[in-house]
Amino acid sequence: MKKVSKLTMVGLVSLSVIATGCSSGTSSDANSNGGNAAKGSEKGVKLSLLSWNNEKEMKPVMDGFMAQNPNVSFDFQTAPPVKDYIAKLQTMLLSDSATDLFIIAAENRNEVIDGGYALDLTNQPFVQTMLDGNKPMLSKNGKVYAFTQTGWVGGLFYNKALFKKAGIEQEPQTWNEFIEACKKLKAAGIIPFYDNMQDVTMMHDGLFANLTLSGDPNFDEKIFKGEKTFEQGWTEPLKAFKTGLLDNKILTADMIGLTGDQIVNEFALGNVAMFTGGPWSINTIQQANPNLAYSMMAIPGPKPGGNYYAGAPGVGFAVNSKTKRKDEALKFIEYLASPEGLKKFEEGTGAIITAKGYESKVHPSIEKAYKEGLLQGKFYLPMVSWSRNQEALRNQLTISTQDMVVGKITPEDAAKSLDKKMKEMDKK
Amino acid sequence: MVKFMRQFQYQVFLIPILFFYTLFTIYPLIKSFLLSLTNFNGYTKVYNFVGFKNYTKIFFDDAIVSGLSYTLFYAIATTVIITLLAIPLALILDQNFLSKNVYRAIFFFPSIPSGLLLAYIWGFILAPISSGVLNKVLKTLFHLGPQPWLSDPLLAKLSTVVVSVWAGTGWHAVLYLAFLQSIPKDYFEAASIDGASKWQQIRHITLPLLAPAMTVSVMLLLTGGLKVFEIPFALTKGGPGFETYTITQVIVLRGISETNYGLASAMSIIFFLIVLVLTYFQVMWMQKREDKIQ
Repeated sequence: MKKVSKLTMVGLVSLSVIATGCSSGTSSDANSNGGNAAKGSEKGVKLSLLSWNNEKEMKPVMDGFMAQNPNVSFDFQTAPPVKDYIAKLQTMLLSDSATDLFIIAAENRNEVIDGGYALDLTNQPFVQTMLDGNKPMLSKNGKVYAFTQTGWVGGLFYNKALFKKAGIEQEPQTWNEFIEACKKLKAAGIIPFYDNMQDVTMMHDGLFANLTLSGDPNFDEKIFKGEKTFEQGWTEPLKAFKTGLLDNKILTADMIGLTGDQIVNEFALGNVAMFTGGPWSINTIQQANPNLAYSMMAIPGPKPGGNYYAGAPGVGFAVNSKTKRKDEALKFIEYLASPEGLKKFEEGTGAIITAKGYESKVHPSIEKAYKEGLLQGKFYLPMVSWSRNQEALRNQLTISTQDMVVGKITPEDAAKSLDKKMKEMDKK
Repeated sequence: MVKFMRQFQYQVFLIPILFFYTLFTIYPLIKSFLLSLTNFNGYTKVYNFVGFKNYTKIFFDDAIVSGLSYTLFYAIATTVIITLLAIPLALILDQNFLSKNVYRAIFFFPSIPSGLLLAYIWGFILAPISSGVLNKVLKTLFHLGPQPWLSDPLLAKLSTVVVSVWAGTGWHAVLYLAFLQSIPKDYFEAASIDGASKWQQIRHITLPLLAPAMTVSVMLLLTGGLKVFEIPFALTKGGPGFETYTITQVIVLRGISETNYGLASAMSIIFFLIVLVLTYFQVMWMQKREDKIQ
């Protein structure tokens, strides 16, 4: 009897461990005003919206829409990007409690579109406002499933004063010039460069675009059709990363432990000459050191003239295919695409607007990146270009990069690991 | 009927909790097991039965093998170190000295904030660059260069354990303290009269009577260590490579990030069995030890 009670006790404790342990990764409802898709009130319609921008950021555009449509109010819900948002939306979609409007990101676009959760928006007039380059990320078989009016561009931020101190007269134009600049900075006692190695690094994006994509713009498409392998396309970029940055000890293994926030702070304080970042880094730099003179340059590549930025279309607003408030939901996206809606969205979120007929005001430090990179389509982000298994491949590339940086594997092994992951995912 | 009612009059009060426990724990566990036999991707409700295919995959998964070894290392290391530190700390805090309550509060404080928050703060202390607090101290005192606390495979493992020990020792010391205060003072008075030294009193009275507290504390530490997620995740994100991946992080990775819920469910079932077996043997062994001591 005693044994039975012991077993019961241990069993119950173990069960609760599993229950709590497995719940650790789930997201919490931030700023949630309600649960399921909103029901129309007597006076008007309540549109439910799930976004990864918070309520403060979305307020201007929601207020603007409500001013034009007094019968509509919002049940606004948010979750922080990326994993928490994806987990929350996924739970809502599976339990048929998803909001009328939600956003689709590069990381979950396939699953949402394939699951039939997003309404086909192809023939809606507001789709005309979208840049053609923004459409593929939110499309499948020629049909557009979400509307995006934004884009982002990332690259190498550099400190002008530290460059001058090290005797670097101008932005490095090629990979060799970049490595030489790093060496000059090092010789001057300045830390040349921090890269965020807790994710796919922007250096990888630039090197792959320069070495592989510039020669074959459809390389990624061919990988996913089985005509090419990751090994064929990624070995050279990873080798360049290793021989240029790791072998010269410009990037070192200890930097793996640095978070994105720490890197931005170090740059703002003038402790490092360069880092890879995007528009989201600017506010922190401005707050920490308003007098810092800095700018963003493209990621120099080994092939002359083919320098790329990292970047992608912004997340897209989709309409739930099961919504009972389809007309109001479409009207909201129509408002988002209007000049007033674009302005309000820019005002609230600080995002770079890339919609046709609208010129976004960007910070001077990224003006060149905006004009030469984003508007000219000279940017690359693997998660957007990969047509399936993006998250699994992104994780694998991050882990393999870290293993390569600590000297556990070679660039060849890292590239092969992507093919292995792809096979594993396709077999599941 | 009366006899029946008498027999079950107390059990009736268990019905509500049993209902909720079944609903929120037993049912999800059964559902997890059923999902582990499918290729459910977490998005579409259409999925196929794949038998035990997911279970066989687990043993060839680098992440789960690495996650399991790190999780076991973490659970055992934190359990042993916290136990070794918490008992002496509880003995000290049990003494009568000025401002003892202030000290109790100070040591208990790290248990209050969430693990995630603590780890973010420790992230600044252990930052692997020269501006990291610990590296600055080492440079000032010993002229040492920056150490890769969170990026060297071994140092990253040790750093996560140290932060967890710092966060958990006070709480477990308070647990031992509660048991210590329930030991009648008469025992110590009688032992003193018989000429027993302080150390003999600790060895022959305090430690044996703390055995039940140890069973509970070790069980909580072991189960807590096995299900750990926040502290290693916030400090290292599981890196470098898979070096500090925990089992729970691998489950989240395979399930949510890679939309492979069948495999993630199979992992959670195996994880459940590991926790069940380890906890069962730990409780059995420690209760036998209690019986022997007493």
